[in-house]
This record gives sequence, structure tokens and C-alpha cells, in this order.
Amino acid sequence: MSRPADGAAPADDAALAARAARGDREAFGRLVQRWAPQARRVARAVLRDTDDADDAAQDAFLSALVDLDRYDPARPFGPWLMRIVANAATDRRRRRAVRRAEPLTSSLPGGSRPDATAERRVLGEHLRAALAELPERQRLAVALFDVEGYSHADIAGILGIPEGTVRSDVFNARRRLRVLLEDWREPT
Amino acid sequence: MTVPSPFDQERDAVLGEALRQALDAGDASAFVARVVTRAGAVHWDVLASWARPGIAAALVAATAAGFLVGRMVSRPPSLEDALVPADAVVLESPGPPDAGVVFASLER
Repeated sequence: MSRPADGAAPADDAALAARAARGDREAFGRLVQRWAPQARRVARAVLRDTDDADDAAQDAFLSALVDLDRYDPARPFGPWLMRIVANAATDRRRRRAVRRAEPLTSSLPGGSRPDATAERRVLGEHLRAALAELPERQRLAVALFDVEGYSHADIAGILGIPEGTVRSDVFNARRRLRVLLEDWREPT
Repeated sequence: MTVPSPFDQERDAVLGEALRQALDAGDASAFVARVVTRAGAVHWDVLASWARPGIAAALVAATAAGFLVGRMVSRPPSLEDALVPADAVVLESPGPPDAGVVFASLER
């Protein structure tokens, strides 16, 4: 099960959520602090633009605040919140004019490899470009599985799809991204 | 890296870390501050939305109560109220009624 950056136990999240639902702003702030990195990454898996992703993550936190009375404290907070984040990001992407990502082939380096300091940044750009080429559900599935550490069952709940579909999405996304990583690390 | 399979249960640490770095948006403090500030406004919006029906119900109740109280205070006299004092005046009068007044209508 995925945990927030500070490794907080689910019980802590439930307690904070209960306090936040009663209007405790400080408790809500701690929840946001805990889950912001993950929420922003998941939103960014859907929306390539950082500002758009942050806006979607913000919308998700505010929606969660309004709907905190619907959160079941017996269940982990992460999947509940990530479902809201995924929906907020997907809604935002659909509302906006789709900014078509550049084809991956055109953004690959033209032979010479960058130096070590720039390598990570460029790899990040390539990975984001590669993610943008994937269907949205695959992007979310692989980010939630390999980056955030959610189980297939959790992701099925978050995305509202069967577990078998999650496995298939993760498999297809990985296959494509792995090819990119292999090419990047072992150039011919 | 391992050969991918749809039955993989394990996370791919290399791919996961690369994606994490690619998706990470950096320092979250400004983001957190922005969300918490907006949350204050949202909370008031929510409270206001909850309060609106309550205020409307209170106004209806106050109007109904005012109407009922007003009716009780300015209630018109009933037939009994109007008749009993008249009887009492006639029966309790020390002298006989004035015949001229009683038969005035018959004299026309």
C-alpha cells in the first residue's frame, strides 16, 4: 500500500480527515502537505503542463475537503484521494483544448548524448513525452503502480476499471516506456 | 530490466524511479500554501451553502409565527362576546328600559 512522503499511518490520515471535516484548517493543511507530492505526480501523469497539473491537484484537494464526510475512515485515504485527483486531472484535460504532445521521435536526441548534469533532466523530458504518447488510462495505471506503489486492486478501484484491465494497461505502458529507457541507457 | 509480463506483480524500481523524477514537480510548499488558502474560502462557501436553506426556513417560520401571533392579538369579537355584555346591561340595569326607545321602530 502506498504511503505519503512522511510515511504516515492510515490511522493518522483518518484522524486528520475527521478533524478537517469539522473545519480544522491546520489538519487539512497537514493532509495536503502529506499527499501533495503524490497528487501532483498523478495529475502530471495526465496533464503534461505543470501548472495545469497543479491546478487539477488543487481542485482535487478542494473537492476532497467538501466531500470529506463521504470518506470512510476504515479504508486507506490514499486511494480515495487519488481517485479524486485522477478524475480532476482527466476532467481538466477534457475541458481544455488538447495540447498535442510532440511526437516522441522528434524529441529524441539527435546522436550526441548530453553531459551527465543534463542527462537526468533530458531523460525526464523524454519520459514525459513518452507518457504523453500513451493512452491516458495507461499513464495513470503505470504511474500509480510503478511510481506510487498501489496494488492492481487499488488502481482498479481508483480508476473504476477491472483489475485485469489494470494489469494489461500497466503491461502495455511498461513495455513502451522500457524500450525508451533501454535505448536511453544503452545507445547503439 | 526484466522481460515485461502482464502477470508481473512486482514494481519495476528502475522505471518507477525514472518516472518519479520525471513527474516530480519539486518543492510543494508554495502549492500547499495555495491550497490551504483556497480551502478557507471553500469552507465558507460550503457553510454558506448549508446556511442558505436554514435561513430561508427560519424566515418562513418567523413569518408564520408573526402571522399567528398577530391574528391572536387582533382577533375580532365573537358573537358570544358581542351578545353577553348587551344582555348583561339590560338585565343588570336598575331601571326599566325606555319604552319610547324600544317601540320607536313600530311607531312609523
